[in-house]
Amino acid sequence: MAEPTTDILHVGIDLGTSRSAISASNGERFVVESYVGWPVDMVAKKVLKRTVMIGHEAVANRTMLDLHRPLERGLLKEGSDKDVLAVRELLKHLLALVGVSEKGKVDSANVRAVVGVPAASLRTNKQYLRNSMKGIVDSLMIVSEPFAVAYALDALLHTMIIDIGAGTSDFCVMKGRYPTEEDQRTLTNAGDSIDTQLLKLIEERYPQANVTVFMVREWKEKYSFVGDNGEKIIVTAPVRGVPTEMDITADMRAACETVVPPTIETMLDLLSRVEPEFQERVRNNVILSGGGGLIRGLDKTLEDALKQVGGGKVKDMEDPVFIGSDGGLALALDAPDTDWEKLSA
Amino acid sequence: MRVARIERVKRRLLKEAVADNLETMRGLPPRNVRGPRRMLRLWLRRAPILLIPITLAGSTWFVASSNAVSSPAVVRASAIPLGQRAQSARRAVGPATLDPSSPLPALDSSVFPLSVRRVVLDAGHGGTDPGTVSASLVSEKDITLDIQQRLGALLAAGGFEVVKTRADDRLIPLRDRAKLANTSSGDIFVSIHVNSIRNPERHGVETYYLGATSDPSLTTLAAAENRASGYSLTDMRALLDRVYADARRDESHRLATVMQDQLFGNLKNIDPGLMNWGVKRAPFIVLVATEMPAVLAEVGCLSNEKEAAMLRKPEYRQEIARALFSGIRAYANKG
Repeated sequence: MAEPTTDILHVGIDLGTSRSAISASNGERFVVESYVGWPVDMVAKKVLKRTVMIGHEAVANRTMLDLHRPLERGLLKEGSDKDVLAVRELLKHLLALVGVSEKGKVDSANVRAVVGVPAASLRTNKQYLRNSMKGIVDSLMIVSEPFAVAYALDALLHTMIIDIGAGTSDFCVMKGRYPTEEDQRTLTNAGDSIDTQLLKLIEERYPQANVTVFMVREWKEKYSFVGDNGEKIIVTAPVRGVPTEMDITADMRAACETVVPPTIETMLDLLSRVEPEFQERVRNNVILSGGGGLIRGLDKTLEDALKQVGGGKVKDMEDPVFIGSDGGLALALDAPDTDWEKLSA
Repeated sequence: MRVARIERVKRRLLKEAVADNLETMRGLPPRNVRGPRRMLRLWLRRAPILLIPITLAGSTWFVASSNAVSSPAVVRASAIPLGQRAQSARRAVGPATLDPSSPLPALDSSVFPLSVRRVVLDAGHGGTDPGTVSASLVSEKDITLDIQQRLGALLAAGGFEVVKTRADDRLIPLRDRAKLANTSSGDIFVSIHVNSIRNPERHGVETYYLGATSDPSLTTLAAAENRASGYSLTDMRALLDRVYADARRDESHRLATVMQDQLFGNLKNIDPGLMNWGVKRAPFIVLVATEMPAVLAEVGCLSNEKEAAMLRKPEYRQEIARALFSGIRAYANKG
């Protein structure tokens, strides 16, 4: 058993609908799929030899599990005891990965966490998250996810963050102050809605193919694009049990492009609310983060849309997976002890 | 120079982030919805609840002389804990039992005699946000708008005033919908949605009202403030807001229960396979930001193709509107 340390561990957590990431002050960084599953019966329990499974393991063994996603459309689910438990299990798992556990190097009483949540999360939802983290960490600060991204990038003034995740797309204009509701928007047109659309289109085109949303999600993460790509996307799926190649280029484009109109509409609407003298600076500082930032061609499409209001620049993030948790960690490290004492979980 | 400026901005942002968290822990609403005017308006609207702290302070004279509220519920509410300042106030004006650790009792919603005259109808989604879409390309936004129009006509014919958050296929931000409901002084708020679930075989109806925790933040607030210098007027406002929220939630729960009973009771006659998924709590923005009893009804399930086909039929949508109307009327009659 490792010797516990009394040093404070600071962590930043990006609690996402699809994936959750953690960055810790001991240098550890991990990302897991936001799935928690419990064996459906005694047989499954015996086969899996585990009482709970989390992340990729849970997805891989989903047929034997009662699978839960703790977040839906970016909000913590409150429907059942299992949903409550799922959030706690996921958070405990993330913390265990960086060494926080009963038998680990770091005791939960020495952990200070900053958790990023969707911009439009309500106070009730934040309070619920706070309750869920009781006993798991010592102190907790909850911030909007795009704010954490902006903090990580030092993009705190005249910048727009567009963070397209699985459950939500979060927009935030940084004006050198803590973003208020006026500065932020959240859409549910995001990665999950692309998956749903893509699955529907593929099922229509290839009605005999046996395709699941998990397969579709994997294809999207590899091949998503908008506009003209010039490459064919060929995937393999079973048709009556026989692995068969399918061309899903047009379907992928159509599904990915469903997020474009609401994204442009929201981006332009938020821009129009910026003080006129700063609009040009914000237009030239649009940052695309989250999994949606990996959609090829999306940055150019948004830049084309900005042309109708005078032009601008959209930058992709190089490391969109950890940028939110890194921002949370930066916030955690910068917050003085006196503030942390007020924020006990 | 630039680095120093960024550091300055960061320090300020951190301070604001901490303040925002502390406000959440205290159960305060976001700053942008608690401007001075709004607080004044809320105070005026909630004037009857002023009796609670006064009753707490033990002023039996005030209760006796007030003709605004004299229900037993207010007397019961006198068990609300107060801090040291309140204790000194008690010594000045009369006896009261004060216990900082005891939780706030819920305010009986009968304190607010309700009469439903104006109904705010909210057709979910719209414009670039289609909501859920069935495999046969039926959009939630079209179904909700149609049912809203039908329900509006039934309500108008039944003598209710109707306010609609959208009259056509356009996207109205959620907070604007809530704002409209609040500024139009609606008595109840009914948001119409259509569900989509993973299992395409299942379909059912469910009704949501504002989800609330058992409110540990309130207990924390009371204890924390009592350890310090006692309650200030601002603290009391926050407490009263929470008490009022409880009453509104109770009314919302009652409305949701009646709506769900009518929705399922009427529709199962047409669709025997329909499931009753009951009344649930959830923190939907439109339910949180509205100031009147509010519910969100999931009137069907587009992920089930059989039901999607039924929802395409005007007759079935009319039945849904009738069921919702029955729910609203039943709630209004019991009010």
